[in-house]
Amino acid sequence: MIDVALHADERQRIASALGREPTRVELYAFDAQWSEHCSYKSSRAQLRRLPVSGEDVVVGPGEDAGVLRLGEHDGEFYCVVVAHESHNHPSQVVPFEGAATGVGGIVRDVLCMGAQVVGIADALRFGDVSDPAGHPRHVARAVVDGISAYGNAIGVPNLAGDVHFHRGFDENCLVNVVALGIVKENEIVHSRAPAGSSGWPLLLVGKATDHSGFGGAAFSSLTLDGASEVGNRGAVQVPDPFLKSVLMRACYRVFALLRERGAVFACKDLGAGGIMGCSAEICAAGGYGASIDLDRVNVAQEGLPAEVIAVGETQERMLFVVAPEMLDDVLAVFNDEFSLPQIAYNARAVVIGAVTQEKRYVLVHRGERVMDVDIEVLTTPPEVPPPRYDPIAPATKTTPGDREALPQVTEALYRRYDSVVRGCTVLPRGYGDAGVVAPIPGSHLGVAIAVAGDPEIGSHDPRLAAEYAVLEAVRSVAAVGACPVGLTDCLNFGNPTKPEHYAQFVAAVDGLVRGAGKLNLPFVSGNVSLYNEGARGEAVPPSAIVACVGVLEDVRRVVTPGLKAAGALLVAIDDITELQRMMADDRVAACAVACSEGLVPAVARMAFASAREGRALGAELHDAAPDDGFVAFVVEIAAGEHHAGRVVGRVVAEPVVRSRDRREATADLYAAWSERLTELYA
Amino acid sequence: MLVFPGTNSEEETVRLLRAYAGEAELVHWSRARTLPAYDAYVIAGGFAYEDRIRAGAIAARDAMMEPVIDGAVRGKLVLGICNGAQILLEAGLVPGGSNGRPTAAFTRNAPNGHFICKQVSVKLAVDPQRSAITSSLAPGAVMPAWAAHAEGRLAARAADLAALVDGEHVAFVYARPDGVVDDGATPNGSALRCAGLVNREGNVLAVMPHPERIYPQHSPLFESFVRAVNAP
Amino acid sequence: MKRWIAVRLKLSDNTAYTALVALRSTGIDVAHVERARLVRAEGVSEAAMIAAVERDEAIFNTHLHEAHVREADHPQAGEIWVWPRDAGGDAWSWQLRDGRGAPLDTATLRRACDALLCNPAIEEARYPA
Repeated sequence: MIDVALHADERQRIASALGREPTRVELYAFDAQWSEHCSYKSSRAQLRRLPVSGEDVVVGPGEDAGVLRLGEHDGEFYCVVVAHESHNHPSQVVPFEGAATGVGGIVRDVLCMGAQVVGIADALRFGDVSDPAGHPRHVARAVVDGISAYGNAIGVPNLAGDVHFHRGFDENCLVNVVALGIVKENEIVHSRAPAGSSGWPLLLVGKATDHSGFGGAAFSSLTLDGASEVGNRGAVQVPDPFLKSVLMRACYRVFALLRERGAVFACKDLGAGGIMGCSAEICAAGGYGASIDLDRVNVAQEGLPAEVIAVGETQERMLFVVAPEMLDDVLAVFNDEFSLPQIAYNARAVVIGAVTQEKRYVLVHRGERVMDVDIEVLTTPPEVPPPRYDPIAPATKTTPGDREALPQVTEALYRRYDSVVRGCTVLPRGYGDAGVVAPIPGSHLGVAIAVAGDPEIGSHDPRLAAEYAVLEAVRSVAAVGACPVGLTDCLNFGNPTKPEHYAQFVAAVDGLVRGAGKLNLPFVSGNVSLYNEGARGEAVPPSAIVACVGVLEDVRRVVTPGLKAAGALLVAIDDITELQRMMADDRVAACAVACSEGLVPAVARMAFASAREGRALGAELHDAAPDDGFVAFVVEIAAGEHHAGRVVGRVVAEPVVRSRDRREATADLYAAWSERLTELYA
Repeated sequence: MLVFPGTNSEEETVRLLRAYAGEAELVHWSRARTLPAYDAYVIAGGFAYEDRIRAGAIAARDAMMEPVIDGAVRGKLVLGICNGAQILLEAGLVPGGSNGRPTAAFTRNAPNGHFICKQVSVKLAVDPQRSAITSSLAPGAVMPAWAAHAEGRLAARAADLAALVDGEHVAFVYARPDGVVDDGATPNGSALRCAGLVNREGNVLAVMPHPERIYPQHSPLFESFVRAVNAP
Repeated sequence: MKRWIAVRLKLSDNTAYTALVALRSTGIDVAHVERARLVRAEGVSEAAMIAAVERDEAIFNTHLHEAHVREADHPQAGEIWVWPRDAGGDAWSWQLRDGRGAPLDTATLRRACDALLCNPAIEEARYPA
């Protein structure tokens, strides 16, 4: 039996809610459903402080993904769907599979909103990779292999991301993934059993359930040490991007079919908590109960215990609630047209139970009722009171923390990711501060995405790091000419029962509230990953990782960082509104975010991009150019053009970057800044 | 256009064919019996059958390929992009003349087998009239495309490589945007700097990089292909 | 001493499953297909060689793989070794058995190679002696 992560008092609470001792299956079910991973039991009170509403928000936090308004095309209103999650613990233990299944999971979160998946992004935090035989180095490589293998195979472009290295991640890497989708506003699918769906079938679709991923939800809520690594072998999740590629396309077909018939339905992906977690949440959200016969589940091997079938986290599975009269046609799409049984062993769509009027959650196994509980009790975990902690005082220091020795060029990493599949990529990964796609064929509407979060700052000041993460993600999106419309966050912290770790978490939420408040932007989706601590009890550097979604009315007006014309001015702009005004007037020829890294790296990136764009121009910074870490953007504008910023330099005809004391060839800088990742990934 | 399980570039490929007035339809693996009726075939990029065993290996032997192979023998035009190109080589259709046995492969990138996603230029290296598919291109035409593969390096035994040169099978080579051909422009260590191969008869063309991924979408090669298909 | 170490997936092997289905569709009477990566190891003992392979995180993860020493330097009955012609690729062992669990004869192994398991342009196959 796994060492269940439930507190003793929670066990007591389950027993008193049930009025009896829980069955074995019930104990596993509550263990998963009331785990930190599923329930946010330690973090919910803090998360309620985040701003979540705004005029562009169609669906805020609470479902599998957030939904933001995108725009109109051909009389139809389109939305962007965005989800953001971590897969930190699995990626530390089995890096390739852990990272790959992280992509698989986030894609399903977007897919189940009825959306087409149009992009992913990844934020990676690795340890010290200098030891050639060290585990951190292997993790750093295999995680990228895993993301690349999965994302490339399913045909979703990787549009944005970042990577940081810090000793604090030696024992706990962070793998945060973001997925983007598009859906028409009137075609959003919700993960709740529709009104009037009592008696409707619950349709399980996808991979045959096996013992892989058993204990995953509890696993991610445990601290990683040698003992639990051994004990949690079963929690390894096995990716099958081939099946996912087919499953995703089959879901698109089913969505289209049900829409053609005007049928209401619900859909949700299976993640933490497996069949039990997914079916309980989808039915409870609609105000119903569920009754499931575990013997009807398609399994990969005979003789699996009921609790493994019920809560195991086998990948590549979805759950649908469809009207009985639609059932045969939906089954035919999955099992015949997309021939799931031929794609992977015993993969298929199968009815496993029904929505019930009575608000019970019932599991039957071999004719025996192995679980029968109040569905609301199951899906409403108690909150955990925070530990007594000393709040972290706002830092007096207002400058960013120590910078890494050299800025980083990440080309060696992002070349491993397919950034252009789907043929919609306007700005591929690495071509701008944000990635941009034009996801609707025939429309010039664009979606921009960027991620940010600096562990160096975080290790000094979690509050400031979180605020900076918001600012930098937002600025990155603004820099390509997009209007920022919404945020997602993933909060990666240590053990919430330890006062000092909890205090870091609270401070980071302060920072998010402050950053988002300044810019008046909502968080529409997110995730909390706690217990990121190693055997010695040290937590990862406090890491609030933020993604920003932006909208471009017309992707033909996208702004790239590449320097365009020798003799033009380089101007520092601090204010995002001013930047947007200048862009609206077509005054900005090129733009890059400076933020915490300073002016030289920013203009160097503009020179690098100029080379890539075939112009090979350089930049010269004035001696008096400020480099205090407070410049937000550097823009190129034609000499004589009106601006409200400070002139910091000019564009020159040679491929060099010149500042006060240095003059370096662009190619040399590029090579020097590429070194670390080239050595690791090329 | 054939859609195998694991094909992932079907939408953008068919979109571009249609943009050039190609009457293109996606034919899904479960609808393969309709394939013989078509005049020409396109095999798009992706990971058909997850490239299990080798890139393109399973798809090349799939029942879906039978009408394509029959059609190719009878002179129908066949264009394979990326995974489609790998499949055509595995099926022995390109360079051909080997009774269905593969004599060359697009295989593991040099030096380390990593997937690479990079914009490249490809240059027409044969007379445009060598293949009906390229017949509307200008001699020496240089076109942008995206390399996005882990297995794009042309490899074959020495005698077979020599035969590729002698038989003018190397239809496209990697080049710089200005058309200069050099090793630096080849992203994967491909033998002969090869980016595309054509069969002896000129009706089957296998191209590794993706012209259809350039945004906004446009491709002289696709245009030439559609024109050849639509020619009376 | 030097030995070949076979590194096999402990979990279900999708590629082996696909190979089985594809080989059967070409008319080869095969009921079981097993696949393992072949890694050359050197060490003072078999245990040392296994340990060396298990330390290489690029090819071995204890959650996913198991490693065995191969006694012989050539394939056993029912087994094919497929080699890349270029350096750098992986060598693979394929074990094929019929419905009674008996290893396939070498003539049938050759058919399996020609039909699917080996592309002679880039690979060569070795058969049981």
